[in-house]
Amino acid sequence: MARITLQGITKTYGQEVVAVDAVDLEIRDGEFMVLLGPSGCGKSTTLRMIAGLEEISAGEIRIDGRVVNEVDPADRDLAVVFQNYALYPHMTVSGNLSFGLRLRGVDASEIERRINVTATMLGIEGLLGRRPRELSGGQQQRVALGRALVREPVAFLFDEPLSNLDAKLRSAMRTELIKIHRDLGRTILHVTHDQVEAMTMGERICIMRDGRVVQTGPPLEVYRRPVDTFVAGFLASPPMNLLNARIAGESGALVVDLSPVRLPVLSDREEALAPGRDSAITFGIRPEDLHAEPVPRNAAPLDVEVVAVEALGPEVVLIAALPGGEEISARLGRDFSAPPGSGVRLYADLERVHFFDAGSGRALGEK
Amino acid sequence: MTGADAHTLARRDRRFGYLLTAPGLAALMLVITFPLLFALFTSFYDYTLLNPRHDDFIGGENYLEAWEEEYLAGSFWVTLKFVLASVVIEFVIGFSVALALHAVNRFKTVYYLILLAPLLINPVVVGLLWRMLLHAELGIANYVIGLFGISRVNWLGDIGVAFWTVVLVDIWHQVSFMAILLLAGLAALPREPYEAARMDGASAFRCFLHITLPLMRPVIMVALLLRLIFAIKTFDIIFIMTKGGPGTSTDLVSYFIYRAAFFGLDIGRASAMSVGLLVIVLALTTYLFRYMRSLR
Ligand SMILES: Nc1ncnc2c1ncn2[C@@H]1O[C@H](COP(=O)(O)OP(=O)(O)OP(=O)(O)O)[C@@H](O)[C@H]1O
Ligand SMILES: [Mg+2]
Repeated sequence: MARITLQGITKTYGQEVVAVDAVDLEIRDGEFMVLLGPSGCGKSTTLRMIAGLEEISAGEIRIDGRVVNEVDPADRDLAVVFQNYALYPHMTVSGNLSFGLRLRGVDASEIERRINVTATMLGIEGLLGRRPRELSGGQQQRVALGRALVREPVAFLFDEPLSNLDAKLRSAMRTELIKIHRDLGRTILHVTHDQVEAMTMGERICIMRDGRVVQTGPPLEVYRRPVDTFVAGFLASPPMNLLNARIAGESGALVVDLSPVRLPVLSDREEALAPGRDSAITFGIRPEDLHAEPVPRNAAPLDVEVVAVEALGPEVVLIAALPGGEEISARLGRDFSAPPGSGVRLYADLERVHFFDAGSGRALGEK
Repeated sequence: MTGADAHTLARRDRRFGYLLTAPGLAALMLVITFPLLFALFTSFYDYTLLNPRHDDFIGGENYLEAWEEEYLAGSFWVTLKFVLASVVIEFVIGFSVALALHAVNRFKTVYYLILLAPLLINPVVVGLLWRMLLHAELGIANYVIGLFGISRVNWLGDIGVAFWTVVLVDIWHQVSFMAILLLAGLAALPREPYEAARMDGASAFRCFLHITLPLMRPVIMVALLLRLIFAIKTFDIIFIMTKGGPGTSTDLVSYFIYRAAFFGLDIGRASAMSVGLLVIVLALTTYLFRYMRSLR
């Protein structure tokens, strides 16, 4: 079991490139933490520094309170599953699984027992005699996972282990990883750029951008209360609609001026927004908070022109233009249909709108 | 497009292909196939430079003679020793250099250039160069070791030394080939298994043993086979430096054949021996190609 603490972790390459910039993160004992971010934001670098595969330019990494900056990767007792599996090509599956154990001097009967347990858990008992190139991608992925599991390390580090799998297998493996985590109760850091993975697997997610941590929290909290426009636009698909707007006063009450459309601001948000009166803001509303019928409470009508209707089966994504010309998307019931060019009235759920500072992108007046 | 159309199209393509390759093939015929067949043909005749005519067919007698030739057997052993010594030492040095260079990040190009330099020199020039450097009285090699109080070595004239001198010169000339081939192989190795091994707690030596060696096996095999094939045919440096001597201590098969032809004037017998050598080289080459094909 292990608690992993990152304090001001920084990685620079040469003089110019700052791959990871003063990252603070605490991964609790037994937690399933997901590191999420767009390509190149420094997720792998962070994970590799924790693993000890990459030198740390500044900051401290602790495992259970012990600073491990200078500790050899093998002595950190962590196991990594690499994105491209990194199996030993010339060893059989069972050789791959046992290599680390043999190096650690685990005795043969114990190795055998662990391999059997792991192979059964992952359903690769039949493959033990094969070599990696005789396996499918999904099977290799299981072996890579198995190689980490047999070690029984204090924590697992996964670097996008599912990204090379097809959609169906990926979703099956998601479930499997969650199950493994529940059974073993070990600390897991899972790196991904797939927000579905993050939402479904993580107990908490940590969102990174350009080498920095933007937000850390349970998935639903990050979804409900994104701290800035980046998180708002990154999580969920289609992402939150972000529109340029102004906060204006109208006979005392505040409104969101989307020129020409105006939407009222609910009174409990006014306090936070009042200082920004008459200034530019970014207005955010998720596609799922736009409805074709009036919602029970606090809905404001929004007249739009249909641009495209994407029927996905379980739902319909409507792409529509506001009178001001900006495009928004809405997730509507599967029965919705309308010809392009026609006018449609949508209802915005005012309780679930977001306001961001137009300059910094930081959230304003979150509850 | 119907099947028949595709068929005629393919046939026309093929005919056009033949047309394009015809001049090159003709040239090859002239300079390679013809001499080859001529030698094969001649090897069955008592064809000497005193009587250069195919008028005395003697069947396999040239081959039989060569087989029973005591000196050829000796020359064969010298060749075997030479090939093994130079290829094995080249491999050990070449692999060490490749591993060292692989770990280097700065000035790689400089090292490459230095390494490549000997390969760019014509073998005859290499031979001449070293003959001068190693000259017993006037050579710089003896001068340099003299500075350290070591007495002169008769590099090319001493019967026990000359063989190893020739081996060393060959290594000097060819080791870069091995190093560069192996270096290319190392550069193409995947990085990830090494990282996995580091996590598994493998030492550098174990990584070499369990990852580098097995992964490099195909490259190593190809490098060894190529050098083997080239080494068996070594002629130039012998011709320039020792002429097979002193005694027969550096008398490689290729030079032996040369002597049979141009000093013994017995072209028929020389042809028979060349055919034998060709068969050996051909067998090795075939094996090399088989092996390379099996890798895919
Ligand atoms: N060896 C290196 N030298 C210079 N820059 C590097 C090096 N390795 C990584 N970087 C840079 O560091 C940044 C972070 O890289 P990293 O691999 O951590 O991204 P990532 O978030 O894992 O991306 P992905 O999702 O594509 O795997 C990138 O901008 C990358 O260009
Ligand atoms: Mg990565």
